[in-house]
Amino acid sequence: MATEINFGTSAADREKAFIALYKKAFPTVAKYVCKMGGSFDDAKDIFQDALVIFYEKKVSQSGIVAVNEQAYLVGIAKHLWSRRFAENCTLTPLDQQFDMAEEDGLQPSSAKLMNYLETAGQKCMELLKAFYYDNLPMNTIAGLFGYSGIRSATVQKYKCMEKVRETIKEKSLAYEDFVE
Amino acid sequence: MNEIKMIDEHLLNNGSTEDRLLFDAMLILNPSLPEQVMWQKNAHAMVQQYSRRKLKAEIETVHQNLFNKNEHTSFRQKIFSIFG
Repeated sequence: MATEINFGTSAADREKAFIALYKKAFPTVAKYVCKMGGSFDDAKDIFQDALVIFYEKKVSQSGIVAVNEQAYLVGIAKHLWSRRFAENCTLTPLDQQFDMAEEDGLQPSSAKLMNYLETAGQKCMELLKAFYYDNLPMNTIAGLFGYSGIRSATVQKYKCMEKVRETIKEKSLAYEDFVE
Repeated sequence: MNEIKMIDEHLLNNGSTEDRLLFDAMLILNPSLPEQVMWQKNAHAMVQQYSRRKLKAEIETVHQNLFNKNEHTSFRQKIFSIFG
């Protein structure tokens, strides 16, 4: 039975949704990957990347237009598998590879910068994530982060964007090997 | 503040036609603006990377729970039986 997945607004909501998706779709993906000669770890990697794509599509303004979301998720995983399989067989130019790949290999300077932002600027990064990545409405964000209303949360969001931008600018000059 | 908001609207393509025309004019008139746009684009890329890392970590925690906690034993057995 296909039920619509709701990621809600908090980490606990997302956890519930991911558990449900794992239980409903991972067995199908695991069977497929196994049939295609892949291992448990292959199935895990493919499925987790598929979940990230599924999440990003689901929370984006356009959303997912699929009658059966679980089938849609399995479809993403199969697609990722065939791409990965093709990459292993032939030399695929870097720019044709799936854009998730770039996340895994941060430039040393970007990794340093990320590390800095994760520690010194965590509250701002979380606020920016909620708005730009999770696409949560501003009134929900105000509630989650303890701001009095939409207005003060919006002001804070722009202040955070400015802070991150200035940090990147400043640190990039310090880390010479920074690559955009 | 206003500059941040304006660049954001430009990057996210949220502004009206007039806003876009005004922005194009400002890019020409304000020599430091293109550079600020570039840094803000970097900031957006950084937020995107940060967010994906966080989401991936949440998913990995779910995976670890499903494959280690007692309450999910039957699910785990179902998966392991596939790989024999």
